[in-house]
Amino acid sequence: MRFASSAKFAAVAAAALALTACGGGASSSGSADGPVDGKGKKLSVLTGVNSQYSEQQKEWFKDIGAKFKAETGADIEFETFASANDELTRIQTSVVSGQGPDVYSLGTTFTPTAYATKAFVTLSDDDWKKVGGKDRFNQAALGISGPDDEHQAGIPFVSRPFVMAYNKELLAAAGIEKPATTWDELAEQAKKLTNPATGTFGLATGYKDNFDPWKFIWAMSVQAGNPIVDGKSLKLDDPAVKKAYETYFGWLTKDKVVDPASIGWSNSNAVAAFASGKAGYLMMTTSSSVPTLEKSSVAGKYAYATMPTTAPGETSPKGDAENAASILSGDNVVVADYSKQKDLAFAYIKLITSKEEQLNYQKIFGDLPANAEALKSLDSPTLQPIADTATRSKATPFTGAWGDIQLALLNVTVQSIPDLSNGSVSDSALQDRLKDAQAKGQASLDRASK
Amino acid sequence: MSTDSFKDLRTTTGSASGSSKPATPAPTARPRKGEVPRAAPGGSQPPGARRKGLSERNRPLWMLIPGGLLMVVIIVVPLLLGIYMAGLDLDQYTLRRWVSAPFIGVDNFVEALVSSPLLRSVWLSVSYSLIAMVVTLPLGIAAAVATQNAFKGRALIRSVFLIPYVLPSFVVATVWRTMFQPNGVVDSALGTIGIDAGLWLNGPQTYWTLILVQIWASWPFIYLLALSGLQSVDHEVHEASALDGALWWNKLRYVVFPYLKGPLSLAFLIGMLHHINNFTLPFVLFGVPAPADVEVLPILTYVTSFQSFRFGLSAAMAFVSLVLIAIPLFVYLRAVKLDDAETPGGKK
Amino acid sequence: MSATATPVRTASSQEFRPGSRRQHEVTRLLPGPLLAIILVFLCAVVLIPVAYIFLASVNSDIGVANGEFLPSSFSLENYTKIWSSVGLATGLANSVLVAGATAVVSAAMSVATAYVLVRYQFRGRLTILRGLLALQSVPGTLMVLPVFVLFSSAASYLGIQVIGTQWGLFVTYLTFAMPFSTWVMVTYLRGLPRELEEAARIDGASNVGVLVRIILPLSWPGIVVSGIFAFLLGWNDVLFASVMTRPESQTAAVALQVFGASQEGGAIPLYGQMMAASLVCAAPVVILYLIFQRYLVGGLTAGGVK
Repeated sequence: MRFASSAKFAAVAAAALALTACGGGASSSGSADGPVDGKGKKLSVLTGVNSQYSEQQKEWFKDIGAKFKAETGADIEFETFASANDELTRIQTSVVSGQGPDVYSLGTTFTPTAYATKAFVTLSDDDWKKVGGKDRFNQAALGISGPDDEHQAGIPFVSRPFVMAYNKELLAAAGIEKPATTWDELAEQAKKLTNPATGTFGLATGYKDNFDPWKFIWAMSVQAGNPIVDGKSLKLDDPAVKKAYETYFGWLTKDKVVDPASIGWSNSNAVAAFASGKAGYLMMTTSSSVPTLEKSSVAGKYAYATMPTTAPGETSPKGDAENAASILSGDNVVVADYSKQKDLAFAYIKLITSKEEQLNYQKIFGDLPANAEALKSLDSPTLQPIADTATRSKATPFTGAWGDIQLALLNVTVQSIPDLSNGSVSDSALQDRLKDAQAKGQASLDRASK
Repeated sequence: MSTDSFKDLRTTTGSASGSSKPATPAPTARPRKGEVPRAAPGGSQPPGARRKGLSERNRPLWMLIPGGLLMVVIIVVPLLLGIYMAGLDLDQYTLRRWVSAPFIGVDNFVEALVSSPLLRSVWLSVSYSLIAMVVTLPLGIAAAVATQNAFKGRALIRSVFLIPYVLPSFVVATVWRTMFQPNGVVDSALGTIGIDAGLWLNGPQTYWTLILVQIWASWPFIYLLALSGLQSVDHEVHEASALDGALWWNKLRYVVFPYLKGPLSLAFLIGMLHHINNFTLPFVLFGVPAPADVEVLPILTYVTSFQSFRFGLSAAMAFVSLVLIAIPLFVYLRAVKLDDAETPGGKK
Repeated sequence: MSATATPVRTASSQEFRPGSRRQHEVTRLLPGPLLAIILVFLCAVVLIPVAYIFLASVNSDIGVANGEFLPSSFSLENYTKIWSSVGLATGLANSVLVAGATAVVSAAMSVATAYVLVRYQFRGRLTILRGLLALQSVPGTLMVLPVFVLFSSAASYLGIQVIGTQWGLFVTYLTFAMPFSTWVMVTYLRGLPRELEEAARIDGASNVGVLVRIILPLSWPGIVVSGIFAFLLGWNDVLFASVMTRPESQTAAVALQVFGASQEGGAIPLYGQMMAASLVCAAPVVILYLIFQRYLVGGLTAGGVK
């Protein structure tokens, strides 16, 4: 009886619901839509909330909604999610129920997970045409749209490569001519920049951030030649990964080039510290920090640079390390498989990935265009290093297990935080945590390749 | 308004079963019985044996239907569905067609018990709930005793005391999170008296942070129930002990506290369950992945399902923990006899 | 337990009118200084964080981040900003609607259920009583997905769209509130004397008649309590509301949680707005409670939970 068939469950549920009978709400039915004639229809779009520019985002919604209405006659309902957790939950509940938004905007690292659910449209050639053709996009940005060129679900919307910002005045005062290109050099420079008496530190980064820590580890490991995921095996129990953690933790414990308080910081605290002129470098930031910095005390005194591409302990980039300057980051849009108005969805995507709209978006929110032409037309010197990084970004492994692997990498840092606040992470403790991460991640990978 | 909806309820269900006396009891009693097979196996009897109790004529058992039906549909059915899911290999690869996800029997249960942090989480949950409860009990009792007698401004103070309880827990968590952040107001306050307490939202101390906030948020509940117990102390009892010239402590200890036993047993039980199932507080305070020291049950099951997509495993975890909690609960219910204070109908 | 409590209301107790000096002396439980210490301590424990919420809401975000208790600057503009940034107006309206409906309906249903459980003897009664408590141990995290699946299949098989409407939340909260509400009513009704009911019955009143005309008027305090508990449950929930609502049916809890979570990235979180919104979200509940204060204590009383 416990394992009664699902049909029975459905029947019970159905009967019960008929009785509780709370039949409100709109039972939206409707199919048979002409090509891109969406009169009387409503497209539902889920996208991340932009807390920094919430007013501007609302404006943008209105603006795009109006243009879309003019083009297709259909309305758009924008829905926002607040955090990665929300986003996951919304994807899951929509997947399991087969109802929800038509179009989702996803962080790039979520694309593999979303793809694994098979609940989103893998674009055919025809579909690509409907969104304006594959070649309208920055080809590097397509690196995380699907497992291979033939199977792509994610349509690039914006690029948000990770770079570092540096305080030109502080660097000059410390006699540093140009920003570091190797991680070792960075640590050396950071030492010169640090002056505990004035509360100035070489680097600003947040150890409690929910994403930053694994990005450092990923970058340093990949640059040292460890792709993290190699076919069906996970390689977290590898010296390169350990070295990466040691370097990352070492800034705090050995080099003492970060504010001790940064153990409890998230990325936003680091931005704040840099903005108040208390740090030489702001690590792991994106173009979305521009508006904040422009309004701060370091306005006009900072610049962006690509983060080091030479692994700790090395003197020059190894193999393809030059092209692992950042994870391939940004937003992809995907269309739900259950959507009854896919053509309308494609029309919407075509609109927002047009050169014009992409440049407009960049101007408002700072994110780089995924549209190739639009990207090329950017010529601001501030954005140049970021645009450059966009072409030198490397996609994280395309596996449904990536979410878990990322979580395992992050967890090593989360669990090390007490040690960090005590001044050192012992070798054995780190080893144990890595072993644990390896076991968890590998288990997840096994499930993915089953 | 409430009476209106009540009348509706009466007319809809009443017409169906209002008059047929012998027929109604059996079907109404049964679904209700079925909903707690695990929690109270001892309490149920074979459903076949019902041929008495007709002396109590005209029992309006149909009144149990609306509530019972709701609980069956919204709690029991999903619960069974959850248990069924616990037997499925349900993850991101099978979620879309979850009905046809491979059935793997007890594998998830084995994994939950053997190779997941489940047991540790159970321990964390239970111990934290217990510590919080042990601290809130005296606080709540003291508050109740202190506001028992009328004094100027008592109404105001009673209102103040209940503020933490009526504040939504996401508000409580947000506020404390802000106060406990590094260099936040708590740190700077402690700093002025020369204490560097370290990190509140990371590391081992998070366990105590969670307990602290939980205590702050839930002692008024104990207060409320203790107060209700005090109200039931008869005036004669006060009078008698006052005439005896009883010392305040002795009076409390021997005269007043016995009255509190009932309400506080209930408070203890409900409070523990609320602590153990409190998801919002740790979730908003610490985020996910949570520090290992506060990876309490709701957080673990949430992460396993909504972060790692292992819905089957997560359901198995939740179910195992449910059973682990239900056993002591059942023993407790028997021992305290909360449900058996009187036997109505027995006298007449 | 029940041995000590044999409530006999004699005429003598009428002499001690509540609040009279004599009564005060007799029922006095604590020595004055201790009483003062307890009150001051507990008030401080409660009021300092509450005061902080307000102070932080008028402070600058930088000031909050730097750990100021007393604001270095003062501005009320956060209270105007939150209505558009957090979307509080819709949230509050939905919360009031859903939690309010839950409270009213759950109170009504629990009276009927509790009445039967207290006044009638039948097989399975104890099981139900225990079950009411046991149901509270079911973890919400286990229920979210199955409840969601259930509701979404209502859309696929019955064409009833539940997800995204206030109805879905209402039914969920109503159900989860029922066990505790019923339990509160059970303890309350136990304390009511039977004599009136019996008198009514002799006059020929039906079960429903007794319930509506005798029990209901007598149980207002209990009804208020169980209603308030149900209200709080609906008002406070984040877990279910976050997956079952759409922007237009979002509750205040979700709006605030979403706003808080969205502050994770970017620059310094908008602490001021978060605190202002927290305070605004808490206000209706606190006001509601203040209105029904007297009942809340009284409702848990009568007969107590002996």
